[in-house]
Amino acid sequence: MSDVLLVFLYALATALATGLGALPFLFVGEISDRVLANSHALAAGLMLGASFGLVSEGTAHGRMETLGGTVLGVLFILVAQTLLEDYDEEELVFGAARGESARKMLLMLVVMTVHSFSEGVAVGVSFGGGVTLATVITVAIAVHNIPEGVAISAVMRPRGVSVAKCAGWSVVSSLPQPLMAVPAFLFVEAFRPALPWGLGFAAGAMIFMVLVELLPEAFDEGRRASVATLTTVTIVAMVLFQRFL
Amino acid sequence: MPNGEPVLTVLLYASLAALTASLGAVPHAIRGRLALPVLGWANALAAGLMLGVAYSLMSLSADEGMVQGAVGALVGLGTVRLTHAGTGTEDLDLNRIGELSPAYGYQVVLVNTLHAAYEGVAIGAAMLVSLPFGISMALALAVHNIPEGMVLTAILAERGVRLPHAAILAVATNLNQALLAVATFSVVGVVPWLLPGVLGFSVGALLYLVLVELLPESYHQAGRTSIAVVTLVAMAMVVALGVAP
Repeated sequence: MSDVLLVFLYALATALATGLGALPFLFVGEISDRVLANSHALAAGLMLGASFGLVSEGTAHGRMETLGGTVLGVLFILVAQTLLEDYDEEELVFGAARGESARKMLLMLVVMTVHSFSEGVAVGVSFGGGVTLATVITVAIAVHNIPEGVAISAVMRPRGVSVAKCAGWSVVSSLPQPLMAVPAFLFVEAFRPALPWGLGFAAGAMIFMVLVELLPEAFDEGRRASVATLTTVTIVAMVLFQRFL
Repeated sequence: MPNGEPVLTVLLYASLAALTASLGAVPHAIRGRLALPVLGWANALAAGLMLGVAYSLMSLSADEGMVQGAVGALVGLGTVRLTHAGTGTEDLDLNRIGELSPAYGYQVVLVNTLHAAYEGVAIGAAMLVSLPFGISMALALAVHNIPEGMVLTAILAERGVRLPHAAILAVATNLNQALLAVATFSVVGVVPWLLPGVLGFSVGALLYLVLVELLPESYHQAGRTSIAVVTLVAMAMVVALGVAP
């Protein structure tokens, strides 16, 4: 099998792993305000923890480039928000949800999908050193993707989307990964300078999404002490998880 | 910087961080009563700077000893929760400007005092990593204390406290910061294996304080987008300007 096909298949496997993140929601019964608050706090913690990892990887390649990427990530979300606000309540439909709820789910999917582009580049560049470690790297990245599926499902499931569809959308959000991994692998030297920008972009978009959508909603629906506790514990767990894999 | 006496450096910068809290009274002196969105942005600024400090400490504790750091973070989180529960201030809203009950007055001052103690631990631990790194963290927290002093002054002024007295009270609530910075620096300096755990402790405490005290109310005082932008920019400034350890 050619190396290019191999990189593509490995990256595709990591994208499919994202769907596993929906599975925990099989065990969540009735959807109440408290469930909504807790799942938003969980998603916030996962995304903040993941962003801290991206920033520290990005700054290792270039501090200012990472920050430049972060600014672009924030601008990207602001533009996406403005575009989505142009739609009327009735026009904006996502599954069974309408208006505000549909807008939030769409924004979450957009954020997680664009962030996968930079992850794909990171995968390709890391394979660029040769495919000997391919299996190890793939398993590590696949496992990393599961919390992203959890974060997406945590926003979609409380809004009435089925677990199967949460899994499907989680996989879709990760599809840019195999698409970007191949060119990044083939042209490592061309892509390497873009890496800190991409990592910063992904971190900026995710942190901004947490601050502008997930946390305020969690605070509205739940007690602030429990939201803060769950988010903090999740950040710590996510950072620990990333370091050990 | 005093040569050969690092404890004096710690005392100097931690005291500076406590003193800057008095500057929070300046906007009131110039503009009179502050508009609600201004207080929201003050909270967001304080939150972002603290997140930046927490991120910087976290990236360190990750290198120094991951598991100890994570355990320390959970202990830090637990300690803040315990002190809040023990003083009956678990869900205290620090921004009820019009609230004039006697109990609220002492609770706000008490919570601000507890808050400053964790900043002291963070400064002391950061100084042990390296003095330049510790100084940059102390300066970030010194700036953080200004908007925090603004919010405290707003509450005190509404209760009839004169501005010079409010400024002094803001410094007084932050004095334990200097004490704990020196204590942490001295004790952990003698027992170096505690460092990763203590760094983790500050990370857990600081993250939780941002999430439970600073962010929740800010979303009611100013728009979500502006809060998210101010928080993220402040955080990025610390990451950009902070001295790499």
